Amino acid sequence: MNWLTRILRLLAGGVFLVAGVLKVLDPAHFAAAIDHFRLLPYFAVAPLALYLPWLEIVCGLAVFAGAARRSALVLLFAMTVVFIAAIASAWMRGLDIRCGCFGAASTAPLTYDLVFDVVLGGVLFWLLLVEGRPGSSRKV
Amino acid sequence: MACNEKNPSCAATGRTAVLLLAFALVPAVFTAWLHPKRPTWSWTRPTVTELALADAERLTPPVIWLDARPDEEYAAQHVPGALSLNEDRWDELLPKFMAVWQPGTRVVVYCNSQRCDASRAVAVRLRHEYQIGNVFVLQGGWSAWLEEHKP
Repeated sequence: MNWLTRILRLLAGGVFLVAGVLKVLDPAHFAAAIDHFRLLPYFAVAPLALYLPWLEIVCGLAVFAGAARRSALVLLFAMTVVFIAAIASAWMRGLDIRCGCFGAASTAPLTYDLVFDVVLGGVLFWLLLVEGRPGSSRKV
Repeated sequence: MACNEKNPSCAATGRTAVLLLAFALVPAVFTAWLHPKRPTWSWTRPTVTELALADAERLTPPVIWLDARPDEEYAAQHVPGALSLNEDRWDELLPKFMAVWQPGTRVVVYCNSQRCDASRAVAVRLRHEYQIGNVFVLQGGWSAWLEEHKP
């Protein structure tokens, strides 16, 4: 199943790389998107909007490169869990907002992003299990 | 995968994760410093004045109505005479608004309902990034307008 692992790795890393780049293009837009969730104090919104896209890019690249793959997968999985919680809470509060997960390209309803992130979280978890296995293709 | 003393690779994973977290800080600082679209920072959320529909319709002209909803919703139906200005296509739509705006013009921004935030976000940007005064957010948004102007 080595080829499947590789494809999923490319997809998962690619998703975060693309999502990060799209958000870095317009951090002000992403800051507004974060604020719309009404989960964070306002002073934390702008710093997060500047930092989070770069963390996604760095971790996405690390998944490709393999140098720090397992750490990157751990961070990406943790991020995805937080995203799922944030989107679910906005959805349950009935907020009429967009996710902002893919910058200005985020135009779908929140439920789409929720399903997407749950699938993504599953893929990352599976990759983590594979990376952690003793006979995995990469030495730690 | 349990993190204990029998598993040194777990600690190594943690150390590398901290490195990755720190590494991402570097470009983030440069973005905060140099990016033309960096977010404006303040301790508290900037406030915008909300207006009830009746008050908004009684504003002294000239008044510009701005539709902050997504393109397809604006295309389907909007307040007569309203211009479109949403964050998805901000750079394309802003010049159209700026072409008709003059100092002293009152601006009323609306989105779908009381549960949307787009109108507030657009109003805040106009006020703080472009120093446009007299910007108001319509309470209840498009649904309030529809309710009042039912055929």
